[in-house]
Parts: sequence; C-alpha cells; structure tokens
Amino acid sequence: MLARPALPSFDYVRANNPDEVVRLLQEHGAAAKLLMGGTDLFVRMRDGVIRPQIVVDVKHLPGMRAIEYDEGAGLTVGAAVTMNQLARHPQVQTHYPLLAEAANSVASYQVRNRATLGGNLCNASPAADTAPAVLVLEGRLVLHNPQGEREVAARDFFTGPGQTAMRENEFLKAVRLPPPPEGSAGKYLKLGRNKVGDLSIVGVAVFAFPDGTKPSGYVFRIGLASVAPVPLRAWEAEEVLATHSPGEETFALAAEKAMEAATPIDDVRASAAYRKVMVRALTRRGLERVWEALE
Amino acid sequence: MGIHSITVTVNGAKERLDVPSNMTLLQMLRDKLGLTGTKNGCSAGECGACTVLVDGEPVNSCLMLAVEADGRQVTTVEGLAHDGQLSALQEAIIEHNAVQCGFCTPGMLISAHALLERAPRPTEQQIREALVGNLCRCTGYLRIIEAVQTAAKKGGA
Amino acid sequence: MAELTSNPVGKNTPRVDAYEKVTGTAIFTDDLPFGPGLYYGRLVRSPHAHALIKSIDISKALEVPGVKAVVTGQDFDTRIGLYLVDRPVFAKDRVRYVGDPVAGVVATSEDIAEEAAKLVEVEYEELPAVFDPVEAAQPDAPLLHPDLGEYKVANFIFPEPGTNISEHFRLRKGDVEAAWPRCAAIVEDTFRLPHIQHVPLEPHVAVALWEPSNQVTLWTSSQSPFAQRDLIAQSMGIPHGNLRVISPYVGGGFGGKAGVSMEVYAVAMARAVKGHPVKLRMTREEEFIGTTVRQALVAHTKIGCDAEGNLLAMETEYYFSGGAYNDYGVNIVRAAGYSCTGPYYIPNVKGDSYCVYTNMPIGSAMRGFGMPEIHWGIEQIMDQLAEKIGMDPAEFRRRNCVKTGDIILTGMKMPAIDLVACIDKVTKAINWGKKEPPSAPHKKRGKGIAIMWKAPAMPPNPGSSAIVRFNEDATVNVEIGAQELGQGAFTVVAQMAAEVLGVPYEWVRVSAPVDTKYSPYEWQTVASRITWSTGNAVKAAAEDARQQILALVAKHWNEDPANLDIKDGIVISYKSEREQPLKDMVIYGLPNENFEGWKGGPIVGHGKFMPTYVTNLDFETGQGPRAVVHYTVGAQAVDLEVDTETGQVEILKIASAYDVGKAINPDLVLAQIEGGAVHGMSSAFEALKFDERGRPLNPNLVDYRIATAADAPREIHGDIVETPLEDGPWGARGVGEHVMVQTAPAIANAIYNAIGVRFNDLPLSAEKIFMALQ
Ligand SMILES: Cc1cc2nc3c(=O)[nH]c(=O)nc-3n(C[C@H](O)[C@H](O)[C@H](O)COP(=O)(O)OP(=O)(O)OC[C@H]3O[C@@H](n4cnc5c(N)ncnc54)[C@H](O)[C@@H]3O)c2cc1C
Ligand code: FES
Ligand code: FES
Repeated sequence: MLARPALPSFDYVRANNPDEVVRLLQEHGAAAKLLMGGTDLFVRMRDGVIRPQIVVDVKHLPGMRAIEYDEGAGLTVGAAVTMNQLARHPQVQTHYPLLAEAANSVASYQVRNRATLGGNLCNASPAADTAPAVLVLEGRLVLHNPQGEREVAARDFFTGPGQTAMRENEFLKAVRLPPPPEGSAGKYLKLGRNKVGDLSIVGVAVFAFPDGTKPSGYVFRIGLASVAPVPLRAWEAEEVLATHSPGEETFALAAEKAMEAATPIDDVRASAAYRKVMVRALTRRGLERVWEALE
Repeated sequence: MGIHSITVTVNGAKERLDVPSNMTLLQMLRDKLGLTGTKNGCSAGECGACTVLVDGEPVNSCLMLAVEADGRQVTTVEGLAHDGQLSALQEAIIEHNAVQCGFCTPGMLISAHALLERAPRPTEQQIREALVGNLCRCTGYLRIIEAVQTAAKKGGA
Repeated sequence: MAELTSNPVGKNTPRVDAYEKVTGTAIFTDDLPFGPGLYYGRLVRSPHAHALIKSIDISKALEVPGVKAVVTGQDFDTRIGLYLVDRPVFAKDRVRYVGDPVAGVVATSEDIAEEAAKLVEVEYEELPAVFDPVEAAQPDAPLLHPDLGEYKVANFIFPEPGTNISEHFRLRKGDVEAAWPRCAAIVEDTFRLPHIQHVPLEPHVAVALWEPSNQVTLWTSSQSPFAQRDLIAQSMGIPHGNLRVISPYVGGGFGGKAGVSMEVYAVAMARAVKGHPVKLRMTREEEFIGTTVRQALVAHTKIGCDAEGNLLAMETEYYFSGGAYNDYGVNIVRAAGYSCTGPYYIPNVKGDSYCVYTNMPIGSAMRGFGMPEIHWGIEQIMDQLAEKIGMDPAEFRRRNCVKTGDIILTGMKMPAIDLVACIDKVTKAINWGKKEPPSAPHKKRGKGIAIMWKAPAMPPNPGSSAIVRFNEDATVNVEIGAQELGQGAFTVVAQMAAEVLGVPYEWVRVSAPVDTKYSPYEWQTVASRITWSTGNAVKAAAEDARQQILALVAKHWNEDPANLDIKDGIVISYKSEREQPLKDMVIYGLPNENFEGWKGGPIVGHGKFMPTYVTNLDFETGQGPRAVVHYTVGAQAVDLEVDTETGQVEILKIASAYDVGKAINPDLVLAQIEGGAVHGMSSAFEALKFDERGRPLNPNLVDYRIATAADAPREIHGDIVETPLEDGPWGARGVGEHVMVQTAPAIANAIYNAIGVRFNDLPLSAEKIFMALQ
C-alpha cells in the first residue's frame, strides 16, 4: 500500500557495450530493468510496483549521451541525454525550441539533471511531457536489438500506459528528429496543480509551418499528453487546420476536435471532464501563440 | 546483492568505499560518511532536501545510486564554507532570516549555489524556477529568493 | 571582533541557530549516531478502515534472519492519550483507520524489518465504516469506541459514551431566537474543509533505548518532550524519573509533532529488545496518514445583523472529523467551541462544537488549532452580510470586531488588543477599494479581506520554567524545555535573558538539545505560547540572577543595590561610579577586604511561569469568568487573479497585520507572518483524498502538492501592531499560528470579488473554480 523506506535489493551492472545489454535482457527477461536517470525506475521500485533482480545501467554506452545535429539529417539525441542537457543545447534551442521547452517543463532543475529524454519515452507514461513534442516533430526511436537496429516512429511507439512497441530484447539508443521545416514554430503548454514542476494534468504541444500544398497554406500538428492511455496526436484537429484558413474560428474548431480526441480518465489529479475542456483551452491558446510566431 | 568498490571525491576529499547496489548516494553520504547535513525528506525526488552537487550540478541524492557516483566529485552543504568562512549565499541566508527550521536549508543552498554558478545575475523568475524542486514549509520562500539576489549582488555563490 | 548588541529586546538580532543550520551541522534526530547496535523498527498497518482483528500470526516474520522481535497489541494492555486516553499502543481487537498500527517488527536493518513486516499475517473481519462526521454523529452510526465511557478523560472534556461523539462543547449566550426577527440580513450556509497534513520537511522519527536496568531514553523530533515523557511514562508504566526524552532540532512541527503520535511505538518496540536502541522513522507516505492530520470540518452556520450592520446573532454547529483517536483532537473542538464566533462581538450566540470519531487518520493539533477551520465559514459569511446591507466588508469588520474590554462570548472580558489597527494596516497596504486591472483579458482580478483571533488552547495551568547560569567569562547559558522548531524560540529567549542581565546578546547561549533529564520543565511548544510563557519564565530567571549579582556587589561596595545597574556585562554604580565586570565574579564570587574570606558563588537564576487565573466553563452554557489567557488578533488582505480559461488562481499579494503586544525580534515576527501567509495560501489548495473505503489516494508529495517557490505570491507585506499584553514579557504575546488562520477565507473573498462566485468547500482547486464559472 505504502512505499518502502528504501530501495529493495538488486544487482547493479554497468553495461559497456550494447550486446551486453541485449544478452542481459535475454538472460533475465523481466527480472532485468534498464537504468538511465532512475527518476522513474527508482520511484517505481520504492513504490513496490516493480522489483527487478538486476538493474543495468545503460547511460554509459557509446553515444547514449551525445547530441548531434546535421542540417540534412536532423537531430540525433542519445537516449540518455538529460533534460537539462537538451534544454540548454544551442542547436536544440535554435532548431528545436519546442523540444527544449518540453524538456524544461519536466519536474525540477535537479530532477532534470538526471531525467533523460529516452527514459521519459520508454517509461511511456501518458503524462510524459516530452512525448507530445517528439510526436509533433515526427521523431523516430532507434532501437537496438540482437539483429542490430530498427527505427520506430514515435506515433507507433506508445501502445498503452507503460507499454511500448519495444520488444523484450530491445532497448532505446537514440531519438531522431527530422530537420525542422522552414519557418516552423512550436509551443508546449502544460497545466499542473503548481505553476511549475508538477506532473501534467494536460499537456499540449502545437507545431506548425507554412506548406503551399495544403489548402490552408499551413501544416499544424498537435500532440497531447495526460488525456488518454497514451500520448497522442490530434489528427482530426490537424485536418481542420490543414483545410481551413488560420484564424479564431478555425482555432476554436480545431480545439474542439482536439478535445474530442482526448479520452481521459478521472484520477486524483483531475476529472476526465475537466481534462477534456482543458485540452480545448490549451489547444486554442497554443494555436494562437504559434500563429503569432508564424505571422 | 553486489557490493561495489568505488572511489568518490566528497567535498574535496577522496574516499574509497564499498557500497551495496541498492545504496543511494544519500544513504552513502549520511550513513557511510557521516555527512548528515544532507537530509531525507521523501526518498522520492519531490522535496529537494537531499540535493547535492555531482560534478557541479545539483541532483536528488535519494534518486541516485552510490555506485553511480564512482569517479565523480560530490559537494554537500558541508562543503560550501571554506575554513570556517561562510559562502556569500550562506551569509545572505542568515542576514535575511531565510532559515527557520533549517531542514530544507542544505538542499536549498545547494540548488541556489548551482544557480549562481550557471547564472551569476539571475532574475527573480529564474530563482523561483531554480528552487521549485526544494520545498520549504516554513519561510514562504520570499526571503530565500531575496537572499539569492543579495548573494548575486555580492558576487556569486 | 563582531559587534556586540546591548539591550537586544525589540532589535533584529541574528538567529542563534542560523550558523549551524546553514552549514549542515545542526543536528536533527535522524542525524544522531548510535553505532552498530542500532536496530530498526517498521510498523504493520491495517489495510481496512474499520475491522475486528481475528488473529495475528507473527511466526513467519520471526523466522526472518535479522528479526529481533515482533510486538502486537497483545503485548500491551494499555492506552495513551493527552486529554482523552483512547488510543491503544497497538490496535488490539479492532482497527479504526487505514494505517492503524497492529504490529511492530524490530530488525537489524530497516530493510529486513520492512520485509518481515510483510510476513505478519493478520486476519480481519471488516466492519461498516463511517467517514463523514455528521453521519458518524448519528445514533445509528457504526460505533468506533464502544468502551468510550471507560476512558480516562480531562475534567473539561465531555465525551458521550454510546455514540461517536468524543467531545461536545456548548456555548449559550443571550437569546438567539429572540434576535433573528430583529435582523435585517441573515446568512445561513454549510462549509466544508477536507483533511490536510502539516507536511513538515522532516518526517517524524524516534529512537528508543530500553536498558536492562529499565532506564528508558527516547530521542525524538518533538514539540513536546515533557508531554511525551508524561504520557509515555503513564502509558507504559515507567516512573517519570526513569524516562528521559531528548529532542534535538525539529525540522518543522506545525502541531504535527505535538503530543505523542508514533513515538510510543518506538518505546514499545525497544522494550522487546532491551539494551538496543530502536529507530523508527516515518516515510513521507507514512507521515501523511500514520502521524496526524488536521481534522476535517462540516460547519452549519447562521449569522445575522441589523440594517446598520451590527451583528445580532449567531447559531453554529461544528462537526469535526476527529478520526480514529481523538486524544488531542477533543481540545481543538473545545477551542473551536469557546471561540466559535471568530473575532466578533455578537450579543446572542448558540454554538455546538462536536468532535466525532470517524474511520479516518488521527486528527490532531495543526497550526491554528481549530481556528483556520471555523474562520473559513465565518469570514465568508461576514462578507455576505456586508454585501446584503450594502456596507464595505472592511468597514463591517471594523464595526463588529472584538475590542478591548468587550464581554466576549464566554463572558470573559477581552484583554487589550487593537484589531481595528490591524484592519487599517492591511487595507492600506493592499489599496483597499481600488479596483485594479487584470494582466490579461481572460483573467479577473479581485481583493479580499479576513480577520482572525486565536487564544492559546491548553489546560488552565500549563507551566514553563527556566534556568539562567553564568560561565566564568560571564557568558550565559539559558536552559529551557521549550523547543526550537524554526519559529525562533531560542533567539528570543536569548534576547530576553541578555536584556534583563545587562549582558550583550552575543554572550548568551541556549542549552540544546532539550533533554528532560536536565532541561527545566516546559508543558509543550504549542499554542504560540513560548514567547509569552517561557519568555516570562526566562525573564524571571534572569531577574533572579540579576538580583543575586546586584546584592553581592552592593554588599561588596557597601552600597544600596537600588543604585546599581548592569551594562554590557559590567556592574556599575550610579552613585559611586564604581565598576565591576561580571567576568570571574559570577562564578568565583568576590573577595573580602585583604582576602579575609570570600562572598558569593556561582550565579544560577531560576524562574517559572504558570497562568493561575483560567477557570473552567459551565457545561451547559460555556460561560465562565476567564476562558483563556488571552487572544492574539490580526487581519489579512489578498490581491489575486483568476484565469477564467483554466480556473487557476494566482495570488499577487498578501498583506498581513497582527497585534503581537511587543515584537521582541521584529524581523522574526515578519518571518512568521510571511511564512504563515504562504502556508495559509497553500492550505487553501490542499486536501488529503480517500477512496470510498477510506484508503488514502494521495499520501505523497507527488499528489499532495504544497506551494513551491514559483507559487509564492509576488509580494507579502507584513505589519506589526503592538498593544502590550498585561502579563506578557515586555508586553509580548504569541504569533506563530495566527499567521495562517484566515488566509483561505481571505482568498475565497478575493475570488468572489474577482468572479462573483462563492466556494463553501475547500480546496479551491482550479478545476472547481473553472467548473463553477461554466
Ligand atoms: C520528482 C519527479 C518529478 C517528475 N516530474 C515529471 C514531469 O513533470 N513530467 C514528466 O514527463 N515526467 C516527470 N517525472 C518522471 C521522470 O523524471 C521522467 O519520465 C524522466 O524523463 C525519466 O527518465 P530517466 O532517465 O530517469 O528514466 P529511468 O527511470 O532511468 O527509466 C525509465 C524507464 O525506462 C526504462 N529504460 C531506461 N533506459 C532504457 C533504454 N535505454 N531502453 C529501454 N528502456 C529503458 C527503465 O527500465 C524504466 O522503466 C518526474 C519524476 C520525479 C521523480
Ligand atoms: S529526499 Fe530526495 S528529494 Fe526528498
Ligand atoms: S526552513 Fe523549515 S522547511 Fe524551510
């Protein structure tokens, strides 16, 4: 019922190469858990939700803490890059300000020194604050497995609360984001019980850029957190924005559609009903802010 | 359970320690090294009383394993004063009566110290956001914020 | 050389504990070293809100290597409690809330104890539970304490055996029925407050050592080392002289560390492993449900005034949810009863205050002790009455608030205070009456005001004592049994001692930790009574020492002591202009002429204080000559914004003013005022939540949110009013709790001013406010 006073016993292993990780995963199955910042893992272990026998520290593997930017290829963020590393990286700030903003919205400064982008995504909480940003930036997750590597689109990655498309013998190596479209702008809005630092009751990422092929002249993308079993895109709202010219009415309609896309639950943080209307309010606010930046 | 032999520098002194896998950095500091200035208020990353610097950056020592500190530099509240000379921040906390029960103070000092290291002249909003992970039930925070401003004016942490 | 401060009373001397606290060297209970012989305890807690214990099987737990003992209710045929002895040391035949301890496991490590605790098998038979205090007060409600009639109880507490009512306080003054027809405006409504928790940054921790010789030592983070000694000694059958309680710095109390909560379990477990200290510490999660909480309240209140705005009548029923055990809670309810009008003069009053057992965590003392709860409704009704008769709410309060010499609801004459001055200060500070623009079109701005009173709520005769001793160099040690919780107690007693003794403030040390074996008696560090009560004892002790010094030097100089004084550590004569430094003479005395003998000796001053004038109150009417020692009063005004698109509230400014009699250390008073304003603000948004079976949903800091540095208002303004208290040291009265009593209703009144919606129930969640706007 209540959390334990301290962490239960386990064996800590620091992995030095990817194959060792795969081997340990194959050998121990669910009894092995991977560790990066531990800000989810240790909390869940203390809460008694999971009790791994072996904890494999993967953050020291080659490339796990690197951020690389290339104009053609875009951004590659090692899975173990911390939120603070991401938020203060000059090229992330310049080319992916939305991602920096989302990373910076997580928890507190000291937690962000340990919390990683990869951990946030792998933990697959519906409330993961970086998920909406990664979704609207059309990120791809690079998974290492016995065969080598495979990539999964962020939109296919989350399969349920705490559930992902990762197989038992796979782990996350990096997150890739395509180069930002010309003239793009983004905004992450988060509603919590405190002004800063709380888990999201609702999180909304809006990302947009001009696109002549669309009837409205723009592509808008909307990502939502904390309002469904998984972080998700508001596809119908995006469709409205692709087909109607931007402005107050369109934004209101799109916000309505985003609200319809949300299927939240009642929990101790907020009711489903409040969450739904907050999706609408934050989506409209986000669209207005992004539109201001685009104009 | 595994026992790990680690080398860690704590407040400038090199230590060699044997730590079990599940020992947190907080437990190591308090129980192994007797550095009880760093406090435990929740064991869950929420209160900030356990905040210490690892390689100059603040972390919640309750959510980091001792073994993860192998080869790294750790600074605790006990390491802020030098030869009995308080840091500008410690002096400012006293001057502003920004301490009451004192349980949050060690973690608060560490977070504020790190802030001044990365942003020597922080805005009020920056200070507030930098301290969000350090709960204080006594002071109401404003005096702490003022103390950080005073220390900044006097030239840093 | 640091500067020395003469005559420190009234000055902003630095805190005596600050250096230790900023360097991490201040010792708290969990920091004490006990060596390798230390054992750890963990508690087995009930998963049910109400159930009979059919059997407990500890055999599997005992088999775990490293487990040293497992104790259960079968091992203790005793109960414990402050005003009403209603709490078994471990639940014996019945559990009464989710979290009720049924067994304690002692092991060589906390981890082993935790693992073994999971192996204790308890068979329960669930009983119907009751959570709402109004339901629980009904005759057919499930009964929590069938033996209520057999419990020992203080002579001013009145439980009703056969019901769940553990205290019923009645207040009858004038004739309310005759007054209602004369009212031009009447407001009647129901207000609710949820359970909230103190959330001290330091969770409860206790270490107990029961020696084979039956000497017992308890190290605890406690506001009440002496009360703990008394209650635990009585309950566990230990002679008082054999039980020693040592209490280092307390990392925040707010009432939660008053009386006895988890400490008795440490002692009970230590008895099973004599010779080994046993450490019991609460996790943050246990802190929320396994220590104590502020009682929830349902208040039905009706108040009326005439067309000129004079209050005429009030009728109120307070149903406090006392939780499973009400040993301390009964007196909160009594205090709410005898102060039920709030800080107003109302000629006709009918008040009924009930403490009701519910299958909830234990309700106990929390900053304000019943006052934040009752002011929540009263202060909103006052605004509504003012609106109904078309009067400004601040003016309405000026007209009706208690004033010096009023015969208040209990028949007592109000000691000197100036609440109108407090109202004037806060209205000025907040620009009262000036509508200010919101910062964005979707926001609405508003201001609100609320006032308060609170008396120290305690038995009639709680005592304080103090010792003042000199060292060879004329530095001074002040010994008190009062505790430093962060409020600054040690600093103000040092100021007082220095002032009386005529030595610089910097020469005074306060002996710590509080240790019942060496420290002079103190009832408890509660009720905002230390500056006043312990202050009086310290002042008396210092005066005693001072008289000894002056008599000695006068004799030595052959002068009249009346001509002598002590300044900056030197005895001077205004007549002969001779000087005698205190150094050396305060220990070694003074030599006679030609060293033909010596006179004097080590100077030790003693002092005590106990109020002697408080009377019991009539059982039927609550009337009596002197209900309480005094009241502290104050006002707060709030300026805020409501985001109409989300329901979020931003507090822009809180202005507070309190009549503290005399600010011994003005900056420490302001520090209380600021910290309390944020605590009060935070409390308006806090709630412990439970499911339909009484299981806590948010006993952690993830989902029980308290205000952070980002949430604190942009500005907090504090004002000090000084109307001297007759029997206060230098006129001082306390101000520790008062500073958060009326913050929540001030916020509610400001929200109403902003958006025109009233909220009768706390918390003021964004969701609730948003939904109300739709
Ligand atoms: C006080 C506090 C506040 C928080 N506030 C927020 C908040 O506001 N917003 C928010 O979104 N989150 C919040 N979190 C949650 C958490 O900090 C984030 O989800 C963080 O990003 C997790 O990263 P990590 O590196 O700590 O993950 P870890 O805890 O190390 O790992 C997370 C999960 O992923 C698995 N894993 C780790 N590495 C890999 C890998 N390479 N491949 C596959 N699986 C892997 C782990 O086994 C574990 O199940 C908070 C946590 C705390 C303690
Ligand atoms: S103890 Fe680490 S954050 Fe509370
Ligand atoms: S001073 Fe007590 S918690 Fe901050």
